Amino acid sequence: MPTLKLLSYLIDRGVTTVKRICPPLEDDARGMPALTDAPCEGSGCQACEEVCPTSAITVRGDGGAASVALDLGACIGCGLCVETCPTATIVADRSTTVAATRREDLVLTNDPAEIQARESERAAARSEPNPFAKSVHARVVSTGCSACDAEIGASGNPIFDIDRFGIHVVASPRFADALVVTGPVGKGMQTALRRCYDAMAEPRAVIAAGTCAISGGVHRGGYAEANGADKILPVDVYIPGCPPHPWSIIHGVLLAMGRVKARNSGLLPSPQRQSASEKE
Amino acid sequence: MRITRRTVPVDHLLPLIRSWIEGRKRGRLGLITSIDGRELIALVLDPASGLAEIWASAVDQDVYRSFTSVLPQAHWFERAIHDLFGLYPDGHPRLKHLLLHEPYDPACFPLRSPHLQVPDRVDDRTYRFLEVKGEGIYELAVGPIHAGVIEPGHFRFSCLGETIMNLEIKLGYVHRGVEKRLTEVPWPKARFVAEAAASDTAAANALAHAIAIESLLGIQPSPFAQAMRTLALEIERLAMHIIDVGGMGTDVGFLGVSSSMGRLRGQALGMGQMLSGSRFLRGFIRPGGTNPVPAGRLGRMKEAASQLRKDLQPVISIFERHPIARGRFEGVGKISKSLAAEFGLVGVAARASGIEYDARSSFPHGLYPAYAPPIAVEQGGDILSRTRVRIREIWTSLDVIERVLSDIPSGEPLVELPDSLPGGAASAAVVEAFRGELIHLILTDEAGAIRRYAIKDPSFNNWTGISIAIRNNLIADFPLCNKSLSLSYSGNDL
Repeated sequence: MPTLKLLSYLIDRGVTTVKRICPPLEDDARGMPALTDAPCEGSGCQACEEVCPTSAITVRGDGGAASVALDLGACIGCGLCVETCPTATIVADRSTTVAATRREDLVLTNDPAEIQARESERAAARSEPNPFAKSVHARVVSTGCSACDAEIGASGNPIFDIDRFGIHVVASPRFADALVVTGPVGKGMQTALRRCYDAMAEPRAVIAAGTCAISGGVHRGGYAEANGADKILPVDVYIPGCPPHPWSIIHGVLLAMGRVKARNSGLLPSPQRQSASEKE
Repeated sequence: MRITRRTVPVDHLLPLIRSWIEGRKRGRLGLITSIDGRELIALVLDPASGLAEIWASAVDQDVYRSFTSVLPQAHWFERAIHDLFGLYPDGHPRLKHLLLHEPYDPACFPLRSPHLQVPDRVDDRTYRFLEVKGEGIYELAVGPIHAGVIEPGHFRFSCLGETIMNLEIKLGYVHRGVEKRLTEVPWPKARFVAEAAASDTAAANALAHAIAIESLLGIQPSPFAQAMRTLALEIERLAMHIIDVGGMGTDVGFLGVSSSMGRLRGQALGMGQMLSGSRFLRGFIRPGGTNPVPAGRLGRMKEAASQLRKDLQPVISIFERHPIARGRFEGVGKISKSLAAEFGLVGVAARASGIEYDARSSFPHGLYPAYAPPIAVEQGGDILSRTRVRIREIWTSLDVIERVLSDIPSGEPLVELPDSLPGGAASAAVVEAFRGELIHLILTDEAGAIRRYAIKDPSFNNWTGISIAIRNNLIADFPLCNKSLSLSYSGNDL
């Protein structure tokens, strides 16, 4: 009786679903880069800018400390900037709560005035009632290389179990509240994507999942005009990552439901400060 | 891989390819393409001896006699060349656009550099499906957006009742211009673009890219790096074969199997993360070697591999013995050996139809061919055979991983690379990705810049396989049959 055997196997395994929601990634994961409060030495060091394969980093400043802008929406998480940075201004960040509602919030900065301005904007923003707070039905449209699709698929497996949050992946735009776009949306998919969106009832939300969907990633600026979903549709939530981890995808959809906060714009403590505080 | 280059008249190209395929025991056509629209180039392979040659022929007036009616596997290549270079295959029995459709300007040939010589051959890129006529025939259009979470493509079924008479596939929706981009970025950064050709195949694409660059430069990575590359390639195969077998469970409604396989694939991805920091092995394999692997990781990986083997055994054995699953798989979606050979199928699809070809046994990459496992071959050509090949390869991948981990060679992970590539050079790499034979081909110009970068994904050969397999089968068997071939849209469309 193979079916009974399977049943006893499954009972034997027990519950494999992880209870803690969106924990940081394991130590062996590369994660995404983030900025710390350790000043960038500037004055000629543009190592991170030079190694970045997608031109996601700009270093500005003359003499003394420089300001660094790191666009997570263009970042493919290769880790080269983290390896290269001599001052630990850029470090690996294993947080999975990385999604944002505004494109500009993905451009990390170490400029204190700019961070202050963003935080006060965020404090001033009034939260409106979210129609999807209890449950959201999502239609996934892939326009890319399938890694993001595989991670969305994985978010439905027994470990992450996205369904427990009231999030369901559906087979038609007619059933959908949210449109999740993966891939850079090249010319070949633009009409189909727009039609899918048009077929959805309002209110509706659009989630750009993965670096390609946010900015085109490594394909940006080519003849196929694969420059991201917000060139075609209004995007409500951006989930960076290449591909984003299943937890990051869950965080992004929960953000569209208004149930979690977007990533904050603050700086991480520098490694020295971090180890000092750990000693205390 | 070092390759011999020859120039031949365009009329001789087809007879030469045919005699290469027929004259050798295991001769194959690797790919046909162009460099910039002035010529055709063909890469031919001999898996028995590991030899490869490139033949180039100048094309006059942008037109050549189509190969397809005598060499059916040329049909997809000729359509791609037509789209990207504007070269017209005269006499192609069913010439249609493959990659660039209505959204593109009729005169857009993105990889072509000289002006078109015969501009009036340009059409408006309207796509016309083959119409099956007769009483009771109806058409079913599916896609480009599919019901599940999967890449886009359009399937046009012509059915009589429940039986599929013809399936035509329109692809190109995820064309991103990868090959052109690979000639635009500085070559030391090109590896990130090469990986994104199809990211479920990131390790194999990165490996093919690295080998092609290294053989241009004439450098050899350390045995340690070769071992790490082998691990990456096999972890990728393991993870994808597990989820593909699990997908077969989904499509026969055997959800206990599919959810278990989804969970177990997570363990395989975890091994990838242990090795590379990324679940998809992104950015790990690079020209010159690999990223360094922190101490202690390989020991943990050994434990993870033996745990995964233990955890897989009960699920796979239940699935293999299940009479309902077997009933859905057996005799359905058949591809005969002769058609598989005629259309040049590769990978699991070819081996399930009795073709003994696994690039790991033929072409050097990683620790292969020395570590190549026995080739998994089945004769049925049906869904059952493809599932069996995949399951056997899950076990042989684990064997290879355990064998590599039991005796890790020494060496530095990365060797220093020169600053520039040699001018006027050509190189190719053939890698057995989890879907089958993957080829990267690089040609440099006189200044050492990459002039043409061609990628032949295994699915480029195998897409025709689904149309062959599903003919005269039931429409309800299509999802299962499709899953058993596990085709890549992005690898095909690039």
